[in-house]
Amino acid sequence: MKFDLDSYKEISDSLMRNKRRSFLTGFGIFWGLFMLLFLIGGGNGLKELLSKNFSGFATNTIIMGSSETGKPYKGFKEGRYWNLEYTDVERLKHLFPELAIVTPQIAQWGVVAVNEGFSVNCHVSGLNADYQYVEIPAIKYGRYLNQVDLQQKRKVCVIGKKIYQALFPQGGDPCGQYICVGSVYYQVIGVNYGTSNININGNSEEDITVPITVLKDILNYGDVVGMICVVGKNGVKMSEMAPRIRQAIYRAHTIAPDDEEAMFLLNMEPIFKIVDNLFKGVNFLIWLVGIGTLLAGAIGVSNIMMVVVKERTIEIGIRRAIGATPFDILFQIVMEGIVLTLVAGLSAIVFSVFMLNGLEVIAHHETAFQINFGTAMAAFFLLTLLGILAGIAPAYRAMHIKPVDAMRDE
Amino acid sequence: MLIELKGIHKTYDNGQPLHVLKGIDLGIDKGEFVSIMGASGSGKSTLLNILGILDNYDEGEYHIDGKLIKNLSEKEAAHYRNQMIGFVFQSFNLINFKTAIENVELPLFYQGVNRKERHDLAMHYLERFGLADWALHYPNEMSGGQKQRVAIARALITQPRILLADEPTGALDSKTSVEVMDLLTQLNREEKVTIIVVTHESGVANCTDKIIHIKDGIIGETTLNTEHHASVFGSNTIMK
Repeated sequence: MKFDLDSYKEISDSLMRNKRRSFLTGFGIFWGLFMLLFLIGGGNGLKELLSKNFSGFATNTIIMGSSETGKPYKGFKEGRYWNLEYTDVERLKHLFPELAIVTPQIAQWGVVAVNEGFSVNCHVSGLNADYQYVEIPAIKYGRYLNQVDLQQKRKVCVIGKKIYQALFPQGGDPCGQYICVGSVYYQVIGVNYGTSNININGNSEEDITVPITVLKDILNYGDVVGMICVVGKNGVKMSEMAPRIRQAIYRAHTIAPDDEEAMFLLNMEPIFKIVDNLFKGVNFLIWLVGIGTLLAGAIGVSNIMMVVVKERTIEIGIRRAIGATPFDILFQIVMEGIVLTLVAGLSAIVFSVFMLNGLEVIAHHETAFQINFGTAMAAFFLLTLLGILAGIAPAYRAMHIKPVDAMRDE
Repeated sequence: MLIELKGIHKTYDNGQPLHVLKGIDLGIDKGEFVSIMGASGSGKSTLLNILGILDNYDEGEYHIDGKLIKNLSEKEAAHYRNQMIGFVFQSFNLINFKTAIENVELPLFYQGVNRKERHDLAMHYLERFGLADWALHYPNEMSGGQKQRVAIARALITQPRILLADEPTGALDSKTSVEVMDLLTQLNREEKVTIIVVTHESGVANCTDKIIHIKDGIIGETTLNTEHHASVFGSNTIMK
């Protein structure tokens, strides 16, 4: 084939000859690809927005807490109160080596935190240092709790984002300063920008985290534990672990093995699965709609080129008469289809990247809507393929135009 | 013999078989200036299509320069057309969105000649036909005579064995017609180009050296016309 400049001039000439038609045809492709990419980007953004609610949270977590018993057992009446205790933590660690983390927590609700005239409502969680493996903190300043804080019962705290913004409106690193939480002064050692909404004691943005050993003494909780979080090691099926954990606790506290009410036990695994499936569905829908629109665009291109070929019968006949082979004609028409789809498609990629960027600006760059490079490249190859497919039927028709047709159509 | 047709038969089969050519025997020598005359429906267009390798024939043999032209594939046919035959059409058949020089270049483009070479050659031909100033003009900016001269330049640029002209003056007024015929005559005399003109106009046929009459699909009489007084332009013509 003759890959000289004129091959391309031929193509651009015939596309530019009817600008409005080329534009409208290309617009079909443009709109199709734009919809596809914009939906993909939007879908990703939405997914990210939703998964922010779970961000930093270990998916194979079980949370449990005590409640009234629902059945009489071994001389105990139903409706008995019981509590999880620190011995249960040790018990679970001992009985189930499959568990990576077993960590207790206690909470204090409806507390006001004050710093130099600024105050904010909050809740206080007493946690172990290893809670950071259940819910990964996004430390902005300072550090998280450590083992020494717990052993020495230091009155230190890690504050959530909203607490930080309310108490330190001037910004800057608050570490080392003291804030009054309830009636106790704590030294701030870190700021947690984590945004997870699964936090067991409510939103982590409005949380003040202190060592559990400190909070336990202040609230006089003794051995009582509010809740216990466990995280399985990699590959451990938590849905299988849940009943075994339940039975181990029940045995220790003399609770009927078939009593479902005595302890609430929340397995996070199925919840994550539901969200995952939801997004699989959304993604499927996005691709269905996007590819459908894109296909409609490509069919439009094919359709218009069919008409164009018909219109150009004489021209093609002349070319054939003066020596163009059928392949020359085929090549030209297919190339026209490809060029039209590529130009339209590439502008669609550029436009959708631009629009998605706009979305990110609106979302204050907190959510990534942008499609990645791989998606754009895949779209590019898809386009080339569509261009070839769109050009093939009209090109076939053009190929079968006989030179005599040029003279017949006079 | 440059062109040799032996017992050419052609039947169109569009629902009802139509036997157009009923055994054409024809020989044309190199350097001849021949016209084929006939009324419409006589089969002269079909003959032209076969001569120009634009169409197939059913029976007989057609040789150009000793090469048998029969049952060619589309690709071979295109190749032979490009190499051996130059076409001049009644309605010029220039490509409207290409300039004069681009139109002239086109056959070389399909031969794969490089850009600069074909550009220079096209310019050379345009200059010869006094169209150098019009090289960058589009066909719709030119007069009929200029368009036909561009078409002749396009037909000649590949240096074909035969120049086939189908009613070359059909769309021109009589003054321009004379100019175009003079140009063809000059090409035949000075460069020994073999020219076959298909026409139903006796004035055009009169410019040629030999007139072949075709009637109802067979060759009628062949008149030698070296004196050029068969029928002068404007007098006793069939159509004009």
